[in-house]
Amino acid sequence: MTHDDDAPAVRELSAAIREKADYYTAPASLLAAVRASLPPGDAAQAPPPRRAWLGQAAALAGAAFAGALVTWSATTWLRGDGDRIARDLLDAHVQATLGNRLIDVASSDQHTVKPWLSAHLPFSPAVADYSAHGFELRGGRIDRVGGHAVAVLVYARRKHVIDAFVWPADAPGREPSDLTRDGFNLESFAAGGMRYALVSDLNRNELHDLALLLAQDAAR
Amino acid sequence: MPDRRQSFESVILPHMDAAYNLARWLTRNDQDARDVVQEAMLRAYRFLDGLRGEARPWLLALVRNAAMTWLKQNRPVELAGGDAAAAQAELADADTPETLALRALDRRLVNEALAALPVQFREALILRELEELPYRDIARITDAPIGTVMSRLARGRRLLADSLRAICRASAPKVHE
Repeated sequence: MTHDDDAPAVRELSAAIREKADYYTAPASLLAAVRASLPPGDAAQAPPPRRAWLGQAAALAGAAFAGALVTWSATTWLRGDGDRIARDLLDAHVQATLGNRLIDVASSDQHTVKPWLSAHLPFSPAVADYSAHGFELRGGRIDRVGGHAVAVLVYARRKHVIDAFVWPADAPGREPSDLTRDGFNLESFAAGGMRYALVSDLNRNELHDLALLLAQDAAR
Repeated sequence: MPDRRQSFESVILPHMDAAYNLARWLTRNDQDARDVVQEAMLRAYRFLDGLRGEARPWLLALVRNAAMTWLKQNRPVELAGGDAAAAQAELADADTPETLALRALDRRLVNEALAALPVQFREALILRELEELPYRDIARITDAPIGTVMSRLARGRRLLADSLRAICRASAPKVHE
């Protein structure tokens, strides 16, 4: 009997489970049932409704964000500190995951995602698929963080979703602090004139792998 | 507590998938998993003030407790019988799983073999491999010492390898004559 997680046979079996066992995601009706079953009394604070999936999302995005973009370079980033930005990023990630609005433009093709983001933002982040390294590009979306529109590249690794938030590094404001909260990790870095912030429930080591890949491409 | 609903939304609900996944693997069906999650979520809401540290393991402990209560009431046989399986696993220790072509295995087979494991091994493997939790959290969630968690993981893997090997032998045509 071995207690060693690093033994090759154990690693192989672990990989088989991680790759092949079903991860059952909660049905939307269960989430609704849980919300409905909570004791009344508190003001119901359901999150704002989210646009559903690509079609409407893409159509709405242009109009919805146009106003926000004008203010991008004009004002300060956010009055709070790095922790505050980090919290905003985590909230944005959680909201997107919960509301099932992960992706405005769904594609594993960087040549589809990049032009879409460029068309909707005053900057153009590098976009690449890293499936060869186990990080599959699922698409992109635009989120608002600290009052500004930022690009979000959405990657998947096993059952984990990773949001890579990207905005110009020279934008006035602070850097988010790296943190771990409630099982979510955040790692931030600057490369190629852009600030990146990766948020996921993926473990820190693998999140860092993606950070290295992104930093490499951004610096080119 | 005007903020309770809000903290519940932002701290607990993000781990809905983890809660359902664990409940689904422990009860092995959708409807019962839903009941277990509902029960656990209500408790999480009620006891939210008691949350210290990370929310996910805390919530999973509530889910696990609700699932165990459910199993005791509805499938008491499943809670027994783990020891016999563990003993069997030790007998088979001489066999090494290296020879098993795990990568080639069908998803369905892995799922079936995992679902067939005695519950204490199944829960340890789900928490370790699918939730990627550290031993410390698994020990807390399953209310067992860390050493027990480690040996359950080892035995669980052993049992799983054995049953996958048996499935392969039974289903694969004899290619090596």
